[in-house]
Formats: sequence, C-alpha cells, structure tokens
Amino acid sequence: MNFEGSIMLVDDESHIRKFISLLLRHLGVDRIIEAANGSLALELYKKERPDLVMLDVNMPVMDGLETLRGLKAINPDCVVIMLTSLANRQTIDQAAALGAANYIRKDAPPEEIGRALSETIDACFEAGEPEGSEPTASP
Amino acid sequence: MANPTLNPFIDLTGRRILAVDDDRINLRIIGGILRHEGYEIAEAMSGEQALEVYAEFQPNLVLLDVMMPGIDGFATCRTLKTSYGDKCAPVIFVTAKSEADDVVMGFEAGGVDYLTKPFRPKEVVARIRTHLSNQQLVEQQKLLVEQLSKANAAKDRFLGMCAHDLRNPLSSIRGLAELMVEDAIGPLSSEQREIVQTIHGASQSMLQLVNELLDVATIEAGHLKLAKEPTSVAEIVERSVHLSNIEAAKKGTRIEIVRIGADPMVSVDRNKIRQVVDNLISNAVKYSPRGSVVTVLIQSDGAWAGFAVRDSGPGIPESERHKLFKDYGRLSAVPTGGEKSTGLGLAISRKIVEAHDGTIGVENIPGRGAEFVVRLPLSG
Repeated sequence: MNFEGSIMLVDDESHIRKFISLLLRHLGVDRIIEAANGSLALELYKKERPDLVMLDVNMPVMDGLETLRGLKAINPDCVVIMLTSLANRQTIDQAAALGAANYIRKDAPPEEIGRALSETIDACFEAGEPEGSEPTASP
Repeated sequence: MANPTLNPFIDLTGRRILAVDDDRINLRIIGGILRHEGYEIAEAMSGEQALEVYAEFQPNLVLLDVMMPGIDGFATCRTLKTSYGDKCAPVIFVTAKSEADDVVMGFEAGGVDYLTKPFRPKEVVARIRTHLSNQQLVEQQKLLVEQLSKANAAKDRFLGMCAHDLRNPLSSIRGLAELMVEDAIGPLSSEQREIVQTIHGASQSMLQLVNELLDVATIEAGHLKLAKEPTSVAEIVERSVHLSNIEAAKKGTRIEIVRIGADPMVSVDRNKIRQVVDNLISNAVKYSPRGSVVTVLIQSDGAWAGFAVRDSGPGIPESERHKLFKDYGRLSAVPTGGEKSTGLGLAISRKIVEAHDGTIGVENIPGRGAEFVVRLPLSG
C-alpha cells in the first residue's frame, strides 16, 4: 500500500488495536498512533495531527459518533474510517452524514480490511502527498 | 424453568368468594356450603354494599343475586367490570327465575355463569370449582407469559453480549493468526506455522458459528432489515468469487464464473445477498472433492436475475431434501477437507432470499453433483 502518512487507531479493546496496528505495519504504514478512548483521541489528534483516523463506533465514555463530531470540529477535513463490529445501517448512515469517509467491519478478513483502507486512501489523498500536510478530502 | 407457583394440581382452598344477596337466609345457606368446601366468604346485602366489600376483600369470584332493591345484580356486575377491567373476578349470577332472557342479559352484563334458586349444593360446588380453576389457570398463563418474555429479553441480552464480547476477540485472534501465517512478524518454523494455522482455522469456525447464531436470532426476531441498493448480480458474485478463491485454493479447488445472457439490475441488500453467495460457494467447496471445479453461473431472463452454484459433490439424496433449508438441517454428506458445518447456512440463505421476494432451490445434476439456484426479481 502506497501511504506515507500517519494513522491514528482509536479502539477501547487492546486486542483490536494490536490486530489492526500489526495489519497496518504489514501494509507498510510506519507511523501509527493508538488511542484507547474518544477523549484521548481528541487530545492526541490536536497534538499529532495524523493524516487518517480509524475510529471504533462502540466505545465507553465517548462513543465513536461523538468522537467523530469532535474530530470534525478540530479539523473539518480530517479523514475518518469507522470501525464497526456489527454493520448497523443507522450508525453507518449517521457517521456518513457527519463526514466519515468509509466504514470497515472489524470481523472482516485482513485482506478485506486492507483493501477497504487502500480504497479510502486512494479516494481521499492525492498520490505522493507529502507527509504532515493537510489532507484534502474529496467526495 | 422450575417454578413452585406453577403447580399443575390446582388447590383452591382459601380462595375468596363474595356472596351478594338481599335475603339473609340465602346468604346463610350458600355461605354454609362454601365454607364447608374450604373457601373464605364475605357477604353483602345490596349492590352498593357489594362494590364496597369487593374493593376491600378482593375476591376471586362473585356470586351475585340478580333481583335486589337499589342497583340490581346486572348493573352491579357492569360497574365491577368497568372498574376492574381484565382483573375483575368472574361473576356468577344467582336468580330465582330461569327464563332465558334473564340469563342472556346476565352474560351481556359480563357474567360467566348463573345458578338458580333453590340451590342444589353439588351443582353450586361444581360450577364454582370450574370457574375458580379457570381463573387460576388464566392467572398462571399470564405469569408464564411474563416469565417467558423476561427469559426472551435475557436471551437477547446474551446474544448482544455474543455480538460484541465474543465476536471482536475472535476476529482479533483470527486476524492476528492470519497475519502471522503471512510472516507479518517474521518467518515461522514449519511447526509454528502449523500451530498458527490451527489457531486460524479454529477461530475462523467459531467466528462463523457466532455470526450464524446471531443471524438466525436476528431473523427469527423479525429484525432482518434490508438496505436495498440497485446493483447487478455479477458485481456481487465476482467480488465473492474473488475472495472465496483464496480459501478454495487451499483444497486445490477452482471457482469459475460463467455468464449466461445479460446482467440486469436488481434492487437488493448487497451484504445480505453476498452472504448467500458466500454460503453457497463455501458449501460447494466444502462438499466437492479436492482439486475439483465449482461453477458459478450468472443468469437472468425477462422477470428475474440470479445465480447458480454447481458443485462436484455427492448431490442431495431425495430422502434428505426436506431438511436442506431448515435450521440445523445437517445432511449425511461429509466435508471433504475436514471443514466444519453449523447446519445454519442454508436456512439463513433461504430467509434472506425470501425476504427479497426471491426463490432458492436445488437440483441434482446426474452423475455430477448439486446445483443451487437463486432467483431475484428484477427491480422496477
């Protein structure tokens, strides 16, 4: 996968973070930031400005949709992929309305998660975008 | 679900009966008969008094004289029914006359039965026993329904727990094992590889079982919601075949797509129909000999579009056909690569296809195997 940027991974379950981050490293993503909940994610986002966020929907304290609102308030162009365990149409639609770029089911096989991720990256970033620049979201 | 309150042997001792009559002698006679049977009795000498005593005594049954000064028995009964609704105790009218008109009016007022004066003790006892038993059974039934809906809610909570607390860890285990097999954390020795493959296979079948149980529960509870989008059958099938080929290659099996005619648009829930395609293909691979070819036909005519999956397995014996699309309907055929089966896949597929107003069926191809055919109505 041709992606030079950084990815923030937000999930309250450490085994999911372990799995997705290993998958990301396997796909060639070197800069991975992990956050165990929504409010930590917002703090880290302000500090680190990752290029892409993978965000769990179902989390205690601050759920995925609320975190998504917070992220969009900090940076309306931030690229967010929702991580879902059950494909709940209503939640997916809500997330899309709030500006999420895509959703991925966590129980999908790794190659499928990888493909959905690279599709989103292809759609949202121009090829060879320099590191740390503001990502330009495209419809 | 053992429950001491649901005793099939009905004990009516201590049940409360309100006897209403403006004649003291009648009250004494009826009271004597009923106390002898072990019932608890309260008395009232008018309709007005009956309403007061009812509120305090909360009887299980009311014996109500029809002809009384003040408000009569029928009016009293109507008032009780209006005040207490479904919870009102059954009312048996007591009347000196036995004219049919009286009796009909009594039933219209909400009575369940009537007794004529002079009393025949055995008749009184038998009828009261019948109505008290009925009432008790109705109460038990209500209790049972309440308990069942509580148990059902508990089951839903349990399934919700399965959804989140079992599925996520299982997908992590499976995903991590798969990445390890792909040398994502460095090369593995052949023994390590074998072990990690075992972990992968076991977590894969557990995940499938949990997913299928959840699917059945969701469909059974009437929660199958379709998010229909216009799409073509070929689009769904091609994506599915691409992914299934990876798994099939492990058995040396090849999956081929054959297109017959046009590929018109259908309006379907892509994920759900994909689940049906995946299931039929995975069955075909599962029951075909190693190294065989599974053919997926994409076909349509003027009224429908669909697909068919042809395997090289043993076919479906006529005697087992009826079990095929039912829950847990496992047949005698054995997977050829040691794969697992929950017996739920085809039942789920049938429910999904039928929710789309489509059909699913199976034909044996003589000397070759089985062909599962799915047809979906064209959109528009």
